[in-house]
Amino acid sequence: MDRVSRVSRLLLGAALAATLLFAGAAPAFALVGPKVTLDQEAGGQPTRFTFVAVTDKDASISEMDFTFPAGFDLSQITLDGAQPSIDAVTLEGLVRTPVTIKVTVSGEKLALRFSPSVAASSTLRVQMRDVVTANQGGTYPLKVAYSVETSAADPVAVQQRTDDTMRFSYRTPTLAETASRALDNNAFVTNWNSIKALGMFFKPQLIVTSIPLVITGWFLALAWIAFAFPIAIVGGLGLAFMRMSKVPPVRWIAGGYINVIRGTPLFLQIFVAFIGLRIAGFRVDDNVTAVAVLAINSSAYLAEIFRAGIQSISKGQFEAASSLGMNYPQAMQYVIIPQTVKRVLPTMTSEFILLFKDTALFASVGRPELMFAAQNIVANTGNMTPFVVIAVFYLIITIPLINVVGRLEAKLAVSEHGQSPTDQPKRKGGFFRALAISNDPYRGMAPETISDDNERR
Amino acid sequence: MSQYIVDIQGLHKYFGKLEVLKGVDLQVTKGEVVVILGPSGSGKSTMLRCINKLEQPTGGKIFLEDIEITDPKTNINRVREQIGMVFQSFNLFPHLTAKGNVMLAQRKVLKRSKSEADRVAEVQLKRVGLGDKMDNFPAQLSGGQQQRVAIARALAMDPHVMLFDEVTSALDPELVRGVLDVMKELAAAGMTMLVVTHEMGFARDVASRVVFMDEGVIQEQGTPQQVFDNPQNERTKDFLGHIT
Repeated sequence: MDRVSRVSRLLLGAALAATLLFAGAAPAFALVGPKVTLDQEAGGQPTRFTFVAVTDKDASISEMDFTFPAGFDLSQITLDGAQPSIDAVTLEGLVRTPVTIKVTVSGEKLALRFSPSVAASSTLRVQMRDVVTANQGGTYPLKVAYSVETSAADPVAVQQRTDDTMRFSYRTPTLAETASRALDNNAFVTNWNSIKALGMFFKPQLIVTSIPLVITGWFLALAWIAFAFPIAIVGGLGLAFMRMSKVPPVRWIAGGYINVIRGTPLFLQIFVAFIGLRIAGFRVDDNVTAVAVLAINSSAYLAEIFRAGIQSISKGQFEAASSLGMNYPQAMQYVIIPQTVKRVLPTMTSEFILLFKDTALFASVGRPELMFAAQNIVANTGNMTPFVVIAVFYLIITIPLINVVGRLEAKLAVSEHGQSPTDQPKRKGGFFRALAISNDPYRGMAPETISDDNERR
Repeated sequence: MSQYIVDIQGLHKYFGKLEVLKGVDLQVTKGEVVVILGPSGSGKSTMLRCINKLEQPTGGKIFLEDIEITDPKTNINRVREQIGMVFQSFNLFPHLTAKGNVMLAQRKVLKRSKSEADRVAEVQLKRVGLGDKMDNFPAQLSGGQQQRVAIARALAMDPHVMLFDEVTSALDPELVRGVLDVMKELAAAGMTMLVVTHEMGFARDVASRVVFMDEGVIQEQGTPQQVFDNPQNERTKDFLGHIT
């Protein structure tokens, strides 16, 4: 990347030089294609400015003054020591040659004196670190004035030139970035971060900066589930009835679907949908694909939950409904399904929790949900804090639902066994219940159906 | 019009290779209370369940008034509306209140209006002595109360005949009386009833006819006095000897 941009800069410089030469009207002995880049996107912080230009034919540069816009702070620039803020090199192909410089800072002005002068027809790069930009974002000019010595004249002529065509831009820092910088200067935070376990997993600056970055991933995951789960409920119900059908082929189709989906990892299903389909030439919207994969996967689990739920209703209920003259659909609609819903609601909620957590797997195919967002920040910062942040985002959804499951189970016990709520042992510790559920090998099964041959994914 | 409400002719029923009913003939006229006795496994419950086709008869014919139930072209759900059935295990709908249980089929099967179904439910629940339990869920009722709701639920459909399948067998002894009282009241009101039971007292007091079944056939039938005090069949004698 660096090399490519360097080559393109050289080409740009050469093209401009050629244009000027052929035009003939060009001011002689100028800097060709001056350009400035920044290493920060947001203002209000120490920033490295990288200036690149090509010196003209027969023209060497002896001095160069940069004038930064008003409100920029150059006081953090250090000129001595092992790592001075300012350096200059000439680039020729892959060879870079340091240029000795003398720097003086006054106000917003940075004056450079080269010794010896930068030779003609060479690419000059000046790096200016620790320039604190103004907070307000926008497009700013960087003025450069320079002295050109030309060997084409005799005696050597010195000309003063200025260039005010260079522009750079950045944005105003976000609230989180501002907060993070404030934390940088906080003594308590500094001490906190000096303890490795805390600084590595609970770095306050990263907590504030990662929240706005991962929250869109959270909403994306929730949006997927909001579409996928209702589809899965309808699909699961259909599959459950197919599985109980009196027509063998219908039963086989549903059984095959359920077994294949439940018998293969969701991870694999995601890869087939995202990579396999693409290779096969199908181009489907990524979010549609994600919703489809989640719905397909969950419908198989829900089908088994529903089937077990329906079959757990005693035969006598159906007989009672029949003896009153109800037909099959009526008995299902008014007698069997309402009881099933109540009975499968806790298991269904657990399935919802698991499905929500499974959205993390989509990071593997680059969908920007929570896990993906966190991985990016971790890769950039080498700090684990974003993982802790997204853990909290998952828990915001899962812990209340785990409590709901507990309450539903208690309520179910009351309605089926006539036990009053006070007879129920109070459930405690949502967090540990969460762990228990995630390790439950019988996920997605009604209690009545659990036996040794029911293997979980 | 047939003189019988229920007319069973040569009924056979197999479960796999096991022949449970080996040719049963039974005719019930309007207003009769027929009590069916017999040891367990004698086929009396199966016969009752064949009448509303909860069991599919293997052979023979069953008529409800002029309708042949065993004819495959008969809409069985229309027949079942007219046959009330009460089960040993109550089978109330646990997600509905007592009143909801009595109203459901009235609304969905008979298409009665909500207010009409509501009115009938109240009448029937009061009739079985549960006027104060209408809004209770089954789990909040005792077994005897649940069974009486089940009777009210069947009665609300205005059945032509009521089938009782060992309705007191699952009840604690002190709850049996309330259910039997309701059944006596029904019999007194002229309801046609087929009752499978082990309650000999009820059979003696209420039955207009007692039928003794064993090994899939009717062994003996007659008035309670005939069957209880002067049984002709050896098996009947043996059975009654064990009971009393």
